[in-house]
Amino acid sequence: MSATGRSARRLGAPVAARVQADRATGRPQRIDGRAVEAVRESWLVEDRWWTTTPLRRRYWEVVTACGRDLVVFRDLHDGRWWRQR
Amino acid sequence: MIVAVLLPRLELTVAVGGRAALLEGPAALAPEPGREQQVGEVSAAAEVFGIHPGMRLGEALSRCPGLALVPPDPLGVADAWEAALAALEDVGAAVEVQAPGLVCFDGAALRRLHGGDGREDPAARLRGRLAGRRQPPGWLDGVVAATRAAVGRPARIGAGPSRFCAVAGAVRARSRRAEIVAGAEDLVAAPVALLRRDPACAGLVEPLERLGITTLGQVAALPRASLADRFGPPGLRARELAVGVDTPLRPRTAGEELQETLDLPEAASGAQLGRALELLVDRLLARRERRGRALRAVVLGARLVEGGTWRSRVVFREPLADPRRMLLVLTGRLATLPAPAESVRLSVERFGPAAAPDTALFDDARAARAARLREAVRQARAAAGPDAALRVLTVDPDSRVPERRAVLTPFEV
Repeated sequence: MSATGRSARRLGAPVAARVQADRATGRPQRIDGRAVEAVRESWLVEDRWWTTTPLRRRYWEVVTACGRDLVVFRDLHDGRWWRQR
Repeated sequence: MIVAVLLPRLELTVAVGGRAALLEGPAALAPEPGREQQVGEVSAAAEVFGIHPGMRLGEALSRCPGLALVPPDPLGVADAWEAALAALEDVGAAVEVQAPGLVCFDGAALRRLHGGDGREDPAARLRGRLAGRRQPPGWLDGVVAATRAAVGRPARIGAGPSRFCAVAGAVRARSRRAEIVAGAEDLVAAPVALLRRDPACAGLVEPLERLGITTLGQVAALPRASLADRFGPPGLRARELAVGVDTPLRPRTAGEELQETLDLPEAASGAQLGRALELLVDRLLARRERRGRALRAVVLGARLVEGGTWRSRVVFREPLADPRRMLLVLTGRLATLPAPAESVRLSVERFGPAAAPDTALFDDARAARAARLREAVRQARAAAGPDAALRVLTVDPDSRVPERRAVLTPFEV
């Protein structure tokens, strides 16, 4: 949902992230300079495939070496990484 | 001297959009979903078959089986029409809207602004007299030119001593000059179909034609008592119009546009659409331009996924500033949406008085707390802007895409 006029502020809007990932598996190894300790879960979201702006994301829930629980995803259309939590 | 501006077939032209070739053949606006099965505006080629706006769809199709039905675009028409009205108000006209595409204003009020030096061309007056034509006042050409420049669309312009005379002139106009209808003598030969332009008399046209009364001159010649006996107040009104008498103009107050639009990323309906409406109401009430006034009438609109638009005007029983009561009314109206929407819009059409604070019958702590909270929110917004007090509104809690689940919306107590 987006507003024209005044912007409606979303909760949980994606923020660009710097991610180093394994070329073969796509598994994130470093997120914004923090090493990834473990991957808790990974899932694929495909939505709005019936529109002109389909959405394809590979999500990763990871735990970093400093103990943070992060959720990042890779946009499978343009290859960019985003952090969502 | 009243001036009428007619934008021919505005609704049909807007609905057709880039498919102008449709207008070369017989075409008409299809009935809006859920409304009476009558065609809207019709193209010139459809008029040849005897089809007119308001005709039953079945009759129109039987008269012309090849009739192209164009889905209406009420939202697009409202936007185009509002832009034209705002442009007229910008040149100083105090406009009274008759219908989409037809507007009247007092031309004499613009005489000093756009009427030039007001001197008439004696040669033109002589030529007109020899040709038996009535000469318009000298300032009218300047006003007409300013009007055409403001509207920016092909327009027919008429002028006359009353609203109805001016409208009759606009309907009759075929050139770039304004058509003058000076009064009853110029209306004698006009067809009774002109009465369709007046909402009070629109239903009289067919009965009058069935009785063999085809011109306004014949209507004017009928005894007043007979018309009153046969048709009641509409009959009296029709006779007054036929003799060139009309009520004074009631111009609208130059508009403040206050509207909120929300794009829905996927075809929304049901509960999700209800949430969107809640968000729109909250944001509209939080707008600083509202200045604490209640809302008397609003327009709810939507752009549909499958193309076309939907628009519904809602007049509240009493001016409202309470989002819950507004939602009670608007949610019911939203249920009549004919198809999933890709964007919804809520705009204020008319404001009411400044919203009086709701007073309780007995003093209770809850009301006092709510009042304090309202005041705190007001002060926070005054200090830090409209986004100072927000609440989390769950929009689509089951969405697999996290950023679609909730939004921040203005906090209203």
